[in-house]
Amino acid sequence: MVTAGPPMQAPVTWRLSRHARRLVTLAIAGLLIAVLARRPEFAGLAAPALLLLLPAGSARPATVGVALAAGTGDRLTEGERATILVRVTGAAGFDAQVRLQAAAWIAAEPGVLGADGWFRLPFRSQRWGRRPVGTLELTLHDRWRLVQGRLRVDAPTAFCYPLPARLESRVVLSKLPTRLGEHPARVAGEGNEFSGVREFVPGDRQRRINWPATTRRGTLQLNTFAAERAQVVVILMDVSADVGEAGTSTADLAVRAAAGVGASYLAARDRVGLISFGARVRWISPAAGRRQADRIMNLVMTDSGDGERVDAVSRLPHAALPPGALIVVVSPLLSLRLVEALRELRERGFATIVIDVLCSEPAVGAGLVSGAALRLLGGRLMTGRYRRLEMAGLARRVWRMEQDAIRFSLRELGIPVVRWDGQSSLDEPLAPYTRRAMVNRA
Amino acid sequence: MTRYSARFPAPAALAVVALAAAAVLCAALPMHGASRGAKPVLIVAALCAAGSVAQLAGRMLAQGAARPAESYLPTLTGLASRAWAATAAVPWPQLLLVAVLVLEVLHPSRPWHTVLLGLILLGYLLALHLAETGARVFVLRGQLRLIAAGAALGAVSVGAGLLPAGAGSGWLTAVAGVAAVIAAGLALPV
Repeated sequence: MVTAGPPMQAPVTWRLSRHARRLVTLAIAGLLIAVLARRPEFAGLAAPALLLLLPAGSARPATVGVALAAGTGDRLTEGERATILVRVTGAAGFDAQVRLQAAAWIAAEPGVLGADGWFRLPFRSQRWGRRPVGTLELTLHDRWRLVQGRLRVDAPTAFCYPLPARLESRVVLSKLPTRLGEHPARVAGEGNEFSGVREFVPGDRQRRINWPATTRRGTLQLNTFAAERAQVVVILMDVSADVGEAGTSTADLAVRAAAGVGASYLAARDRVGLISFGARVRWISPAAGRRQADRIMNLVMTDSGDGERVDAVSRLPHAALPPGALIVVVSPLLSLRLVEALRELRERGFATIVIDVLCSEPAVGAGLVSGAALRLLGGRLMTGRYRRLEMAGLARRVWRMEQDAIRFSLRELGIPVVRWDGQSSLDEPLAPYTRRAMVNRA
Repeated sequence: MTRYSARFPAPAALAVVALAAAAVLCAALPMHGASRGAKPVLIVAALCAAGSVAQLAGRMLAQGAARPAESYLPTLTGLASRAWAATAAVPWPQLLLVAVLVLEVLHPSRPWHTVLLGLILLGYLLALHLAETGARVFVLRGQLRLIAAGAALGAVSVGAGLLPAGAGSGWLTAVAGVAAVIAAGLALPV
């Protein structure tokens, strides 16, 4: 979303153009030589340049009006193209040029002047979040390009939503709450999915009689259908640790995965809630609908400072965890507090699945040599630098083992852990759990 | 608003190269009659001409190309980039103008030749202006009268230069001084 402010009057700083400065140089140099060397032909050499500078003294506006507007819709997603509209007023007779000096994570494209007098400055936001687009640099030129006026205006702020990860197949629990929805449940009901045939009993609807089965068995047989239920999904987004390169860090991947999972389940008319596990624990209770999608995105995007401090929270909030909910955890699993919370969730009987977004390791340092190479160097050449490298390599191996142990312990508890690299669709790592219903105890 | 475009026209760029070379040659030749300092000034003028052409070419190449953030550049590339940026910031055309005029003044008085050099320099500046702004030649149509008046003043100055010393060249010198003050006034920040 790009917000636009009211039209504003901005002061212009005027100065001679590059062309005019060269003419001035020629004129002054020629005249000075004419005076100093007493050679009047140099004054004649300077005369045309001097005359060409005369129009530079024409009137120039001290301020101009700058109107900004958003050229696209109210939503902006990572990588999506948006446009800022700029109109300069009060500068009749001057050529105007507008350039966008892009801020970090904003890629500006060349602007064009439309027939309606509005400059269109396209840009792309390369990372989610609320961030300034940059600065608009306006340059005004007179007819002969002898003077140029400059002014800078802050461009609007962009609200960029994370690019949701693709997820088309969904993990569905075997036992669903008794709320109408779109997932076929195990119990018979009024859905559309055929589940079996049973004997007719008085009171059944006659239109559901299965005549071929009735003919075969000799008694009236009835088609039965699976009930369709909605699922309650709670996304636990762990942004307490942010490691890796900006743009593809664990927090970036967690936010994109959470947005993708939320959008996918909301599209299936499920009830979706979100727990943000960052510096503070904030949550939205499960609900369905488009407004819930907006609420989830706003919670992801903004850090309002409310919520409980994560170190003051001993358990995940019960209000955000209705019984029978599927808990989808998006986490790099670097927080032991979260790992303990997952164990507790499992003990409470929640069906939980973890999407592991840890895609980077601690750097050991530039010029890392392998352990084998270090051994070949032997003790004599083992300098302090190599010792430090070896210790760092050892620490990394210990770290890897710790991470493997955390994942192994979660799997032993019955919490599947799948790894997502941030590039592919989420369907790929979740495939083993989307083919059939996930068993839960609720 | 459409008279100036963002493109660099090749004919104007070629004219810049030709006129810069012509100005240096016109000011330098003949070298045998020039003062002792003419050779170093000629070298400086040639360097400035090359610098201005390279600066223009750099602007043409850099137009529309995205410049990577410096922090991401390797050290050697970053140093080269900074050196090029520093070189490109030098006002080569102004230095060329001064060097050519100094070279011309190191020669004996030759009024017609000097005014011709002035026209070449003016052509160079206008061609450079057209090449940088991407404007077409017809944008200068409105300035033709001023250029013609300037050329007429040049012809008058040639006449003054041909006069023997003391025969009216004194008041012409005074006029030149007043004009220098006006030019300095125009050069003040506006």
